[in-house]
Amino acid sequence: MSFYMLCKVLFSRKVVTGLLLLQLAMTLALLLNSILLAQQTHQQLSQPTGLDLDNILLVQLKPTTASLRVYPALEDLLNRQLDAVQAIPGVIAAAYSNQSPIAQGGNNGNIFVVEQQERTNVPSVPMYFVSKDFFKVLGSQVLQGELPQHSVSLDAPGTPDVVLTQSLAQKLFGSASAPGQQVSRGRVAAVISDFYGQRSGSHVMYNNMQVAPPYGVDWGYSILLRSQPQHTTAVRQQLDSALRNVEPNIEIYNIRTLAEQHQRLYRNEYGLATLLALLSGLMLLVTMVSSYSSTHFHALKRQQEIGIKRALGASKKIIFIELLTENWLCTALGSVLGVFLALLLNHALAQVISIPALSGYLPLVAITVLLLCVTVATWYPATIATRVSPATATKAL
Amino acid sequence: MEQFIYYLKVSFKGIKRAPLPYALTIFILSVGLGVFFANATFYYQLNRDPLPHKSDKLFFPMLNLVPYECSTDCKTPSVLSYNNVEKLSQTDIPTQAAAMYSADGYLRQSTEQAPLPVSIRITQRDFFSLFDVPVLHGSIWPDNSARHEVILTKSSAEKLFGRTNVIGEKLLLDDRNVTVAAVLDTWQMLPRLYDANNQNHLSDTDDIYLPLETGYDMNYLSNTQSQTFDDTDYRQLSTQGRTGALHQLQYWVQLDTPAQQQRYWQFMANLVQDEKAAGRHPSAPNNQLVAMRNIVSYFGGESSDIKAFALVTLLFLLVCLFNASHLSLNRYLSNQYEFSLRRALGASRSQLQLQMLADVLLMAIFTIIGALITGFAGIKLMNQLLPANSLFSNWDLPLLLSLLVIAFVCSYLVTLYPSLRASFGTLNQQLKE
Amino acid sequence: MITLTNLSKIFRTELIETHALREVNLQVEEGEFAALTGPSGSGKSTLLNILGTLESFDSGDYLLDGKSINGLSDSALSKLRNEKIGFIFQGFNLIKDYSIFDNIELPLRYRGLKPAERKQRIEHALELVGLHARRHYFPSQLSGGQQQRVAIARAIAGKPRILLADEPTGNLDSLMARQVMELLEQINQQGCTILMVTHDPDQARRAGRNIQIIDGQLHDSTLYEPLSAQSA
Ligand SMILES: Nc1ncnc2c1ncn2[C@@H]1O[C@H](COP(=O)(O)OP(=O)(O)OP(=O)(O)O)[C@@H](O)[C@H]1O
Ligand SMILES: [Mg+2]
Repeated sequence: MSFYMLCKVLFSRKVVTGLLLLQLAMTLALLLNSILLAQQTHQQLSQPTGLDLDNILLVQLKPTTASLRVYPALEDLLNRQLDAVQAIPGVIAAAYSNQSPIAQGGNNGNIFVVEQQERTNVPSVPMYFVSKDFFKVLGSQVLQGELPQHSVSLDAPGTPDVVLTQSLAQKLFGSASAPGQQVSRGRVAAVISDFYGQRSGSHVMYNNMQVAPPYGVDWGYSILLRSQPQHTTAVRQQLDSALRNVEPNIEIYNIRTLAEQHQRLYRNEYGLATLLALLSGLMLLVTMVSSYSSTHFHALKRQQEIGIKRALGASKKIIFIELLTENWLCTALGSVLGVFLALLLNHALAQVISIPALSGYLPLVAITVLLLCVTVATWYPATIATRVSPATATKAL
Repeated sequence: MEQFIYYLKVSFKGIKRAPLPYALTIFILSVGLGVFFANATFYYQLNRDPLPHKSDKLFFPMLNLVPYECSTDCKTPSVLSYNNVEKLSQTDIPTQAAAMYSADGYLRQSTEQAPLPVSIRITQRDFFSLFDVPVLHGSIWPDNSARHEVILTKSSAEKLFGRTNVIGEKLLLDDRNVTVAAVLDTWQMLPRLYDANNQNHLSDTDDIYLPLETGYDMNYLSNTQSQTFDDTDYRQLSTQGRTGALHQLQYWVQLDTPAQQQRYWQFMANLVQDEKAAGRHPSAPNNQLVAMRNIVSYFGGESSDIKAFALVTLLFLLVCLFNASHLSLNRYLSNQYEFSLRRALGASRSQLQLQMLADVLLMAIFTIIGALITGFAGIKLMNQLLPANSLFSNWDLPLLLSLLVIAFVCSYLVTLYPSLRASFGTLNQQLKE
Repeated sequence: MITLTNLSKIFRTELIETHALREVNLQVEEGEFAALTGPSGSGKSTLLNILGTLESFDSGDYLLDGKSINGLSDSALSKLRNEKIGFIFQGFNLIKDYSIFDNIELPLRYRGLKPAERKQRIEHALELVGLHARRHYFPSQLSGGQQQRVAIARAIAGKPRILLADEPTGNLDSLMARQVMELLEQINQQGCTILMVTHDPDQARRAGRNIQIIDGQLHDSTLYEPLSAQSA
């Protein structure tokens, strides 16, 4: 069996082979880009958040009567709700916040070191107005300074002290110590470990907190709580009734773990990656069908030829391998084309979505998968083809 | 007719002779077309023009009337302040104009009732005529002044009262008294182009409508985008919000003729010039007058995933077409002997073409059924995976018709080449084979 | 070199059983040129196919060079076929999209010969059949007689010890038929054992031995005088 002969057979069927090649190439191109996208989504989902995602529960809610949305009634409501939540067995700590971490966007603004706005301005930094246990709920480590111990009203004279995440402090002050310095939102009290804030912000780890009741709750607010791992499910079930017992006039938008929140944040990417993966699966299926049918028909058309070859001393194994090799060769040629096509597609996709560039070993993986599928699909019709009886096939018509 | 039925019979016989390749051809075509249909549906619905006669006459003016001097990013804010709108309204060049934003609220008939969460569009009188909103009962506010009067959509009226004619009924909107001034007829503007910031054009229409002045009086904050460029306290919307640099408004003007557009553009330029001269707005002028037709791309809100997927599904369709024609070529080649025999027995080419047409028709019917099923499943799946676009998954008549045409053309293409080859190849050679 | 003992072959279809060969006993010596004759459907092709290991048999034994082929695997049989046996079919059975050269090369490739050796053998075979000039032609570009000569070249290029020919002249006119016969005789003289099915009594007579099959049974195999002796 020779390469030359195989090529000759392939190219004697120009149209059929051309179609097959194109199709293989496209399948590979799509397969490669889906893998890329899936990889990227996986990376995004597994990028560190600085949070114990599974054991922090998030409730998003809003009072339904206007009178509960103004101080002092609001502060009273917030504190009563916190007390009730903390009383649920298994809850380690609970806090309110004007907004939740791990979000697309929300309440944010620029921040800078006082009198150095030009140089240090950082736009779109989320501002959290939280109760004092917020840091305990998130499991933050205090890296510099001391956390504020008391809630200070934003309307009181002077502004409440500011807590920064490590990345933000570094961005603002470099290696200098942050506590005691003045930033546009107040005096820095402490620097804590990073956590994931807002996806649309300057940097997901830039966050700024003040221990104070929120300005207002027109956009609703969050109650965050950390529970003991073995109690998380039970706590979650009791949250709704516990909060409604405190005050029935509330709307609870949702109760989730931060892990769920994180997944929702990347839902679009996840959806697209899933769709592309499904499509790649379909494409592989279609390719398998085509390998199957091409071998099947080809063998059918060449029964006499196979019979002659058998009569001339080709064993079943040789015929089988010949048929397989034909498809392998086709796949290999298609793959080369496919890698080029994949680069083109990658380029085109990069115009509309964020997708990493094609690289390294991925084409090899994809080609292997493709070869495997082609082999599986060719196996059966090739086995059938070897069963051609040489005596019958060589009979004169 | 009798003849054509005969052709159909022959087609059926052909299928029966090799059912597997035929089924595979149909399967592959259906899958390819179905996947394509599913995405094409979203693509078409997302990119359609909800007001084709008007979308080039409605404009969103944006100005750099802000108290800061921008240094690096001098993009014009994508929303306006109350003050901005006031200044922009001081002209009668536009045929109509309305400022707007949306907020969340709770609506009920009495304090004993459970509140109904509603999305409120806080806007001005012209909103309804700008976007051709049909009114079912009552009448729209006569002017833009504050009034405790809401306009309900048909569905929110039904939800609250169980009927639609509820003009003059009293309601509590966040515990404040309002009366119903009008009820709208069923109306859905998809995509909702007047609210294109932050991809809000993908959401459903709002539940109730409230006059802009009343919205500010009642201190409703925008639930989509509000920016403050000075120390305005956003809890004091009715006072500071009306004068300070609190930006949360969209503003749409109707400019019917190019001359009108030119004049309005000039008006904006003069306005900014005057403000700058008065020292109120130090930033460099950067006026924008964006037509509704272009607003989504202006805000960068095009659904990139659907676009990316469109590219990919098109490729997939191509692959499936290649594959199906490959399959059907093989099918024809294995039937070739019979085909040649027919020709040898005196069938003319045109008769064979008719036979082909029967084949195409049969294949198209099967393919369309398969494609519709796959497409439907695909849409359901995409709604699950990309829920943001779920409002855009409906089939309408023009869409459905074009899909049918595409399916037919594809079936034709798939059958064309092989049958041409079979019917035009040299007779002699085929019979010999 | 070939010994068949009580060999039977039954074709079973859904409807009927055909006893194609019944208890056949046959002994063929090295260098013989035997003609197989008999009415249509009597089992000639079947016998030839069994001898060429293209078909299996139901009972009896087949010894080739003293070794039974019973129980040999497919690849062993293929190897045996490839090395010891050459086939010439009534329908030529050339591969359409292979050139003459490629067609002849096929069995040599299966045997795993080196390119140089293959080339040398092909050229030799082509010269023998007088088609050297047309080695790059395709089968469709040749006449029937030429095609059959190519088939003969393919069969002998591997230097088989046995040549099995099933009506090699069935599709040819008498002139062509004579040319082919002469070629076969020439090959036989070089020591190759030939078994040939034919309907032509003249051809049968020219062969050294005539084996008659009627209804699957081997009838007396008449020995003719060698051709050369007869003409002398
Ligand atoms: N594959 C098969 N299946 C069933 N029956 C077969 C098969 N091959 C041959 N036969 C039957 O076996 C018998 C012998 O057939 P064979 O081909 O050997 O005849 P033959 O002597 O070569 O005839 P001819 O001179 O016409 O070529 C015939 O009756 C035939 O019908
Ligand atoms: Mg025969």
